[in-house]
Amino acid sequence: MIRQSEVAKGLVDTEASTASSMSTGGVNRRSFLKLTAGVSGALCVGISLQGCATSALESSEEHSFRPNASIEVLPDSQVLVTLARVEMGQGTMTGISTLVAEELNIDPAQIRILFAPPADAYVHPEYGLQITGGSNSLSSSWLPMREAAATTRLALTEAAADLWSVEAKSVRCDQGLCYHPEKDTTLTIGQLAGLAANRPLPKDVELKPASEFRLIGQSVQRLDAVAKTFGEARYGIDVELENMVYAYILRAPMIRGRLKEFDASQANDMPGVVKVAAVPSGVAVIAESWWQAKQAAETIKADWEPDPVVGEPDTADIFRLYEERITQSGFDRVREQGDLDDLAAEGSVALEAEYRAPFLAHATLEPQNCVAWLRDGKCDIWAPTQGPDIARFVAQRETGLHRDDVQVHQTYIGGGFGRRLSQDYVADAASVAVHIDRPVKVIWSREDDTRHDIYRPGSLHRLKAYARKDGGIDGWQHKIAAPKVITYYIEDAAGVQLPGWAGGTLTSMVASLGRLITPDISAFEGADDIAYGFGHIQVDHHVADAGIPVTYWRAVGHSFNGFVVESFIDELAEANGQDPLAYRLQLLSASPRHQAVLEKVAAIAGWRWDPEQKRSLAPAARNESGNIVQGLAVHKSFGTYVAQIVELELNNVDEPTDYRISKVFCAVDCGTAVNPDIVRAQMESGIIFGITAAKYGDIEFDKGRVRQSNFHDYQLLRMNESPEIEVAIIDSDEAPTGVGEPGLPPVAAAIGNALFVATGQRLRQLPLRLG
Amino acid sequence: MQLSVNGSLVEVASPPDTPLLWVVRDELKLKGSKYGCGMGLCGACTMHMNGTPIRACITPVSAAEGMKITTIEGLGSKDEPHPLQSAWLKHSVPQCGYCQSGQLMSAAALLAQHPQPSDSQIDNAMSGNICRCGTYPNIRKAIHTAATAESSPRPGSDPVNAASTSAVQYWEQS
Repeated sequence: MIRQSEVAKGLVDTEASTASSMSTGGVNRRSFLKLTAGVSGALCVGISLQGCATSALESSEEHSFRPNASIEVLPDSQVLVTLARVEMGQGTMTGISTLVAEELNIDPAQIRILFAPPADAYVHPEYGLQITGGSNSLSSSWLPMREAAATTRLALTEAAADLWSVEAKSVRCDQGLCYHPEKDTTLTIGQLAGLAANRPLPKDVELKPASEFRLIGQSVQRLDAVAKTFGEARYGIDVELENMVYAYILRAPMIRGRLKEFDASQANDMPGVVKVAAVPSGVAVIAESWWQAKQAAETIKADWEPDPVVGEPDTADIFRLYEERITQSGFDRVREQGDLDDLAAEGSVALEAEYRAPFLAHATLEPQNCVAWLRDGKCDIWAPTQGPDIARFVAQRETGLHRDDVQVHQTYIGGGFGRRLSQDYVADAASVAVHIDRPVKVIWSREDDTRHDIYRPGSLHRLKAYARKDGGIDGWQHKIAAPKVITYYIEDAAGVQLPGWAGGTLTSMVASLGRLITPDISAFEGADDIAYGFGHIQVDHHVADAGIPVTYWRAVGHSFNGFVVESFIDELAEANGQDPLAYRLQLLSASPRHQAVLEKVAAIAGWRWDPEQKRSLAPAARNESGNIVQGLAVHKSFGTYVAQIVELELNNVDEPTDYRISKVFCAVDCGTAVNPDIVRAQMESGIIFGITAAKYGDIEFDKGRVRQSNFHDYQLLRMNESPEIEVAIIDSDEAPTGVGEPGLPPVAAAIGNALFVATGQRLRQLPLRLG
Repeated sequence: MQLSVNGSLVEVASPPDTPLLWVVRDELKLKGSKYGCGMGLCGACTMHMNGTPIRACITPVSAAEGMKITTIEGLGSKDEPHPLQSAWLKHSVPQCGYCQSGQLMSAAALLAQHPQPSDSQIDNAMSGNICRCGTYPNIRKAIHTAATAESSPRPGSDPVNAASTSAVQYWEQS
């Protein structure tokens, strides 16, 4: 028997009734899905929702009001919000709760938050999967969650009006209380919940105008801050079940290597070892403690063979394949504007360059892990996952159960960045659970996390700028050689779309569709949509796939295309002898929001281009040595415009080998800043993540084996290298856009552009190494 | 073997070479200290041993015998938060939050030694703790805030408003 309790309060179990009714299948589950169908669409009210109001099944307790899948008002006036998107640090929990609190006229602290189980109601409206990614959790919730909350408030108000026999519009509902000017009594929303549940839901609800916002636009304290400051937040790795065992999986030394045979005779006799079993990803040692499992695994002698598709490539082999592909005629032309071929025939090549970006690991600080418990024909999964419905499918596949017999419990996530959109760690736990009748927790070592990640793909870029006969640059050509992420992603994600009983053949058929889905934006986003006003633009994606498993990584295609485009633009400004700021502003004359962030960042950084010295120096007040130079970049991603200026200084001006980034300025236009403090924090986060990639990020392959293993050779930026960061948010009434990723793409280019000013070296390969 | 953890004496059965981190997490069920690297490189497992910050992932439990161990669970409570915890809330420091227990323990050791740390003292004390989310600017601000609060007449240890504790549900076995 599983029950739900709370980390910080130990309150009643609420979602448990929903979850258990779902996992038993049959009527309960169907009625739940019927009630919640369409909730994540544009409107949260509908015929199916009214069924909820008259049925006790879907609410967590009697006399509570659950007008939709996301919001429930309990008789004690607490408001439960079920988060369809996961919290992995990006602030979604606080952002979405703020939207609800705003339209419900309550304090965000009155909200209790639940993580959603897999259910149709929580599927992402744009992706068709219950995943969190693409920096759009808040933007995709902006109208639906406000409408859900406004409908809830109006329903409560109307219930009060009925009771008092007055007009609804004369009733006020504020801070969980309903008032009427002519009535002495006030009613709590909890007292009204049961009444509201028995009335038809109101339609055509009006949202608050921005002028009446009390919370949106304010820096509400993060709702997860307390749990995370007192060590109480429970991540996947912290899940604790009675009688639980632990597993460590010994993996192949090479990417996707296969187990041939193993000898575990010594491991079997080690203290605490319960069982040793071959599983799809290696040899699992199950023991009473994880440390015992890991110690025992180190004694196992195993023979491995390379995967026939991946083989045992070196990094150089992979980029040789990219070089071949980028010259071949088969490609996706993903942007065609004007007639570049004509210009090429008549004009001339003004500049050309080749750029490279490496494979990267996500390095979430919480290593991959998952708990699975298989018993009585049912499987429970506890996972820090960005895709609970895909996790359910993967567990279903590994255990052979029906979908309805697998339940996934979402936990806090110790860093996502795209890593946990993949469910390989769920497959691990489910496949180990088959071998043991106790709950089992699989934890990867940091070394395995680094060496068996699903990586950000490496990429190769060739760019040409073409000039007209009269000399002006008017043509831009960008060829990209990179794999398609979707090819790998669909292996697991496709299963979610299949019937609950889907077997292996059908699954692999659908999965193979990934190779046919084309084009895949993950390779060329941020390259195909450049706003620079060239008359002729061509962007081509040459699919080049070495078989290394790849997936989404913070900012995805923008993470490398931001670097490539903004570095090459700087090269063009240099070739034209122009101020990089003025050059960009002129080319972006049709995009005022790009211009506004550029002008803002230039103003706060004190950008002053010296045409003689060809550089912008940091203002004297923070430039004691006189050698701190500035570099600039701007990039739009996930709907958000970001411009940055990096200030850096070489460690040795005569023979530079390293550099110190002292300050980063950032201007961001993300539409309405629902929580300015979180916007600022996410910009800082993206910048620091981006500096790590720019300075250090490199996953190298050596005969199919990843060279890096832990934080000594896969370095992450530390406090002593972390620059001061100043963020300016552009005032805006537009709907909110993403903030989790857009801080990252410009920073590597801004660093590279500053290094060019400082050294005269144009670095066209990440990470940026002076030499 | 007997350990002193957060002021209580507890009996542990793990073999003496087991890293302290796993004993604390899995035998004593104190989950606030985290596993990040297993090599003392990231600081997610930071605890205090007789007041000194240690990396529990590379410290055998035998080394902790007779020592006073403090974990994040013993740093402060919501009724009596450590000034750093109040400052952490004020600045909404955590993002994913996974490293934050270790960050707080390192910062607490720093403040115990240097009540008014300079930026370079903060760099020295905190550079062993990795934050993948890049909360460093907020951590630096919060340490300065806590240092100011500690030196002011009324310490920054107001109880944390329970209502501001938005609890997230968590599954466990009954």
